[in-house]
Amino acid sequence: MTGVKDLLETATNRSSSFGSGAGSRYRYGVYGMVVSSDTPLDLPSDAHGGVARVECVSAPDIAFLAATESVGGEGDTESWYRCVVLRDGSTYVRWRTIGEFLVAADGRRIMFRRYDRASLESFQVYLLGQALSFALVRQGFEPLHATAVVVDRHAVAFLGSNAFGKSSLAASFLEAGARLLTDDLLILSESGNRVLAYPGPPRLKLFPKIARRFLGQDATNRVHMNPDTDKLILPIGEHRRQGRPVALEAIYALAAPRDACRAPYVRVENLSPREAFLELLKGTFNRRLTNQPRLARQFDFAARLTDLVAVKKLTYPRAIDRLREVREAVRADLARDTGPALNVQPGFLD
Amino acid sequence: MVSFSERLTVAPDVLFRLVGDEGVLLNLNTTLYLGLNPVGTRMWNALTSANSIQAAYDALLEEYEVGPAQLRADLEEFIQRLLGQKLIVAGPVIEASHEPA
Repeated sequence: MTGVKDLLETATNRSSSFGSGAGSRYRYGVYGMVVSSDTPLDLPSDAHGGVARVECVSAPDIAFLAATESVGGEGDTESWYRCVVLRDGSTYVRWRTIGEFLVAADGRRIMFRRYDRASLESFQVYLLGQALSFALVRQGFEPLHATAVVVDRHAVAFLGSNAFGKSSLAASFLEAGARLLTDDLLILSESGNRVLAYPGPPRLKLFPKIARRFLGQDATNRVHMNPDTDKLILPIGEHRRQGRPVALEAIYALAAPRDACRAPYVRVENLSPREAFLELLKGTFNRRLTNQPRLARQFDFAARLTDLVAVKKLTYPRAIDRLREVREAVRADLARDTGPALNVQPGFLD
Repeated sequence: MVSFSERLTVAPDVLFRLVGDEGVLLNLNTTLYLGLNPVGTRMWNALTSANSIQAAYDALLEEYEVGPAQLRADLEEFIQRLLGQKLIVAGPVIEASHEPA
């Protein structure tokens, strides 16, 4: 039987035999990477080159059958999400109604198969988020679980797990003229004495109520992220998104919803370096890959980032009506930290 | 109980970094992260760089306004916790004549 390694090599050979032709004829730029694909993706084309590359190759079900047969029942075969690291170091990931992915051990290739019932938009959210995060980690990047907006030419990131309110807060910033940099997955790189934040896919995942309130977007005919959620996938137009990397000004670690529910008012706290370090570690995207080299890299990454960027704790009541107030508090906090150099425009927010 | 004549070294697969004036530790084997406050960080640095626990104790006694008995008790408790988390290893003092050139 063909092994997973052989299949990955076959995929590589296939694409290299096509060269820049049919094998990977589409080239895009996202998270600072050049993504080549044999299938069109809803991403900006690669205009600036990239700090890394990944090739996405569609594959038939037989390719994934071979991979899953090699590990038998390992991983939860019945659950909505299945993730198994295979013997050759590649990673098999599958979402039951979305599709399946095989990420090469070196992170340079992703084989994918979209299930028939998954919409293209929904599939791409998983391909360019969760699945791509395996490739990023394998290539030595440390993604953060964060949504970021650009306020006065500087990136501001909101760090937190699922359901912490990152995208909703970002939407309230977009309402006030900020641009979306990335939703959910943030890639950073050090450049001199600053940290650059890279743009993600131009879309925001929001509940209909938030989309209506802050983006004025009707939920009608919008695509859901998956069948089990009301969250919608909302494309963000060019005028509302940031297409180039931008310096990161601050990271706001959002309080967990259970703590936030009890918060009567908006609070921004400066964190000690040790507290900041731990928040950054908690905010790492993709906790499935936990081998020692990765843990060591995360540790260095968090320590370095703590030295370079202000990390604060943001606690606020979880109510849509309070989001503008939260936005105002963040804006005021940024202005305090950066002074006139940031050129905060009066009236920027409402 | 470890003897003050012994020497402490950072356990293999344990990482330490200074962030601000505080230390953070990661044990790669247990995936345990630990933070040290500034005093704990100073104790860690003294203990893992001195040739013996006694030498670290002497240095700290000179540095801090603390009674000898109190410092000894604090150090003993700190060392036990570090040993319990497998963050340090106790071993014999390296004699100067045995050290590599």
